[in-house]
Formats: sequence, structure tokens, C-alpha cells
Amino acid sequence: MHDISNLEKQGLPGVFVASGPFIDAAEIQSKAVGIDVARIFVDHPIQDRTDEEMIKLADSAFDDLVKALTQ
Amino acid sequence: MAEKVNDYKLIDGISVVVNSDCPTCQLTSDLLVELGNSGRVTIFSQDNPAFPTSAEWVCDDSDLSFSWHNDIEAVPTLIRVVDGKEIERSTGWNRKEWERLFEVKNLAPDLVDHKPGCGSLSVSPDRVDELEIKFGGRKFVSRQVEIASLEDEIEAMFDRGWSDGLPVVPPTEARVSRMLAGTSRNSDDIIALIPPNLAECSVEKVAINAVMAGCLPEYLPVVITCLEAICTDEFNMHGVLATTMSVGPIFVVSGPITERLNMNSGINALGHGNRANSTIGRAVQLVLRNIGGGEPGGIDRATLGHMGKQGFCFAEAPSPWENLAEGFGFSSEQNTVTAFTGEGPHILVDQKSRSPESLTRSLAEGLKSTISPRMVMAMDAMLVVSPEHLSRFIDAGWSRAQFIEKLSELLIIDSDGIIEGAGGIEDGVPSVFAGNKLPKFRPGGLLVVHAGGPAGLFSAIIGGWLNGAKGSDPVTKEIIL
Amino acid sequence: MNQTLSVLDPTSENHSLEIQLSDRIKNIEGSTIGLLDISKPRGDVFLNQLEKRLTAHGATVLRFMKPTFTKPAPVDLRYEISSKCDAVIEALAD
Repeated sequence: MHDISNLEKQGLPGVFVASGPFIDAAEIQSKAVGIDVARIFVDHPIQDRTDEEMIKLADSAFDDLVKALTQ
Repeated sequence: MAEKVNDYKLIDGISVVVNSDCPTCQLTSDLLVELGNSGRVTIFSQDNPAFPTSAEWVCDDSDLSFSWHNDIEAVPTLIRVVDGKEIERSTGWNRKEWERLFEVKNLAPDLVDHKPGCGSLSVSPDRVDELEIKFGGRKFVSRQVEIASLEDEIEAMFDRGWSDGLPVVPPTEARVSRMLAGTSRNSDDIIALIPPNLAECSVEKVAINAVMAGCLPEYLPVVITCLEAICTDEFNMHGVLATTMSVGPIFVVSGPITERLNMNSGINALGHGNRANSTIGRAVQLVLRNIGGGEPGGIDRATLGHMGKQGFCFAEAPSPWENLAEGFGFSSEQNTVTAFTGEGPHILVDQKSRSPESLTRSLAEGLKSTISPRMVMAMDAMLVVSPEHLSRFIDAGWSRAQFIEKLSELLIIDSDGIIEGAGGIEDGVPSVFAGNKLPKFRPGGLLVVHAGGPAGLFSAIIGGWLNGAKGSDPVTKEIIL
Repeated sequence: MNQTLSVLDPTSENHSLEIQLSDRIKNIEGSTIGLLDISKPRGDVFLNQLEKRLTAHGATVLRFMKPTFTKPAPVDLRYEISSKCDAVIEALAD
């Protein structure tokens, strides 16, 4: 979150990906750093997923990520 | 039971303001209880509603409303009130005074005769700002900007585009409130329309930017006057911003105010290191960018610029000659700002001339190449004469007028030498002017100022921008405090 | 809860107050997209798939990794990303 906000301040468009439970924390951090960073959330949990499941997760997030960077 | 003070109206009889920390209040506490129980006094307690005791005649002034509104500076303060009006007051413990006010004899015979009071909480340095904002009725028109908790407050100023490249002081309400106390003008007075956006600029907005620049409150009237001077048609700040020439506003402050503000007219006068010099010019520049929208890369397209554009302000040094403002018709007792559009200063060395005639020739030689050796009349200039150079003229009994007259005679140039093509240089005065003698500067176009440290046989030339209707003319304004 | 600091606006107030995000890129195709791995487990698999998809869309993908997820990325890394890339995706926090 801080990395994307720092990069945004340097003029680079960015987006941050986190899993579901991070939504509230991200909201609070966004207010705390003073910049409404673009963010996408994917299903939790992450740690115990197989490779195929991770690939599916990436595919499911892809369109939203493209949107966040281009619109 | 202590009553909460609902307003700060005065109660008939004797009121005493105390706080429990004050040794004099402690000393007289038993006496006050006696007086209170016999209906002779109303107590206003600043920090502890049960001091000197819990009673209906003890009022809770822990929000300091009564103390602030009644200008309590010390405790204990006794106020005698008749028909809701204060007749007299007294501070500290003084037996004779208290006996007179309370109309009672032999008060507290076991106490010392007198003891001075202590500072009131309502004037304590760590409470003053908060109380001023709470009770002072100062309403700010500018919107509040919240800096998020994880933002560094100085970085936050940069991130919002409010900085000129250097850190700025965050303009909190307390700081802006203190700054506004530096002028008698109303905070909602509009002092100018700031180019390029011609945005209305109030005294409050100037104060905010003055805080950011690092000004003290007493500098505020000077900053306001600088802005008033440059936002005139004659000065043409819009043109000054938009030109590719490396010029910016330069402010010369004259009059007794320069000493009062500890401005620098001596060593390094045109340089850094003095708070007033550095921050007054900077505050003006911050207003231009933050209110007017005039920043480098935007409307400011200067090819090269110079560091003075961050802020260039100095004080004229006193001398036997009339000062710059007197030359424009003001008196030496008036406080003024003269705004001049100029480049960075460049040095003119002459360490050998002993006679005023020689030095004048030397200065004229240097002045002939101001901005360009091949330009005449179109630009004004400022000549800053240092003390050692000035002494050549003073010692010989020359007046300022004499000096300027002699200089002007020497600043007549043969056009043939500077015509386009002359000497293999394509630039130059149009050939139609061949065979003429042309003055380097228009009448009144050379501003002579005195400043600098006591040692150094150098003066400085500050070339100007275009003068006249298409350019910028110097403007002098009186400072209103 | 940290104290927020409140200051008065020094501008003429014709802009919105929030710090604006940078302009977005026009297209994925032809852009250089940085993928910043925050160094949490499984993030690399996620980012590998994103790289595959982005490349298929005509983007050039550059991969970066934070030394640790516990601190913000170091200045050098941020400079490298901002000077080499047109946009960045940071993943995957859980």
C-alpha cells in the first residue's frame, strides 16, 4: 500500500492486490496515507492454495487489474 | 457545589479569580473561604472548582472563559463590580487593598502584609493560542485540509503542491491566527487579484502563505504591501511571470520599519541569512504560485531564471543621501516598499577610483552593458551602491541628484557602435537609429539604492525587464500596519 | 488513533483536496508493466500468471521483488520501477 502510494507520488500509476480480509485495513491505511490507491481484492485464503488455484485467482483478477491501470 | 460558568458576565460585588497552583492564592485561601461564607465574594476558580472550597459562591472557570473575556493576567485578581460594570481591580494579596475593597478591617492579621500574584492560566503560553481560537471569534474562511495520520506533515505540504521546492511551515489555525495579529487589517479584506488566474487574495490567504514562508507576524504588513505593489497595471506581474527573460519581482523596503523588523541592509544585503529579507520575498512568491497559479513550468516559462525568484527582498541602508522612496516623493519617515522587476545582481568592481568623477565613469562603463550592450532605453536598472563606493561621493560633497545627473551624461551611447551588424554582430539597435546618441536608460529608468557591508569596493547592477506599457514599471507603496 | 493535523488551505481553492492519483496508461499493449512481488509465499505463482496474461496482451513485463514484506520498498527499488515502467502492480498481501 505504501509502495503504491509512494510510486503514485512519483507519477507512476499503480494498483495493489490483496486478499479479502485486507479490505478494511486497506481502507484505513488509504485514509492514513492520504491517497486513495487503486486496489483489487481476491478471495482468501492464499497460503494453502495449489498452483492451479493461484493461476485461477490471477485470471479472475486480470480484467479488474487492467481496468485499474487504464481507466 | 461549584457552578459551571455559563457566561462571563460580571457579578455585582467583589469577584476574585484564583487558581490552586498559585502560592498567593493558597496563602489567602482560608481568608477567601471566610469572605465567601459571609457572602462577601464570588470566586472564579481556573483549575479546580473545589478550590478554595466547594461552595455555591465558587464558580468553575476551568474552560477559562471568564478569565479570558475579562483579561485576567494574574491571580488572584479582585474585581469590584457595580451594576454589572467593572469599577476597579487589584492583583495579588495586599492587606490594605483588600480591606479597602471588601470594606472590612483587620483582615487575616496572621498573614504577611502583601504578596504578589502569579500568572493567570488564561495567559499561559501553552493555552493562549487555543483560547484565542476558542473565544477570539476568529473565523477562518479558508477550507481546512486534514493531513492524514501517517503522512509526515512536511511531506504532506510537498505532496499537495504547496511548496516552492523548499520545506514550508504547515499553516495550522493557531499559526495563522498569530500571523493575522501582525496587521490591523481585516482578515477578509481582498488586497489584490493575483495573476495569472486573477484570483482574489484576502489578508487571510496572505497570512497562510506567510506562515508557510516562515514569516513572523510583524512582517505581514510588508508582504501585503509587496503584493499590492506588484498586482498593479504598471507593475504588470502577469507579464513578469510569463516572460522567458530571467526576471522576478525585487522588493526594496525603506523607512523606520526596516530597523524594527531587523531587516538586513548591510553585509550580504542582497543575499541570504536574514529571516525578514528571506521570508518576506518568499511569502510573495508562494502567494503567486498558490493563489495566482504562477509556477515555473506553468505560466512561468523563464529560460534560465535566478535564485532571487524564490524571494528577493532587502532593506535600504540609511545614508546622507535621500533614499529610493524619497526619490519617488515619499518622506524618509514613511515606511514603503518599492517593487522592481529585475534579474540577479551582478558585481561591478572598482577598487582603484578615488575621485567621484573616476568612479562615476567606471560605474557608467559597467552599466552600459546591462542586459545587453546593444540595448538602450527599453530596460530599467537598479544600481546598488555599496558604502565604500558611496563614501567616494559623500566625501567629495556630491548629492544623489548630482551623482545621477553625472551618470546619465556618461550613459549616452553612440548608436553606430551598437547598431545591428556593427562589429560583425547581427544583434543591435535598428539601423534606422544610425548616427545618433542614445541614452542607455529612459529618464528615471536608473534606480539608485544604497546597501551593503562596510568593506568592499564593489557595487551591484540589477538589470530590469522591459519598461513601459508592454513591460513593467517600478511601483512604490506605503506600508499600512 | 493518531492525531490528524489540520491546516488551512493556502490556495485559491479551485482544486479538489485529495492528492490526485497519477494519470492512467492508455493501453496494456505496448506498455511496460512492473510486477512488484511483496515477498509473501505464493505471490510468485500469482504474478507468474499475470505476467503470462499481460505479455499475451502485448505488454513488456518487468519483475521486481521487495527484500521483505515487513517494510516499504527501498528508495533504489522504487526509483528503478518508476524509471523503467509505465505502470505497476503490487501483489499479493494476505
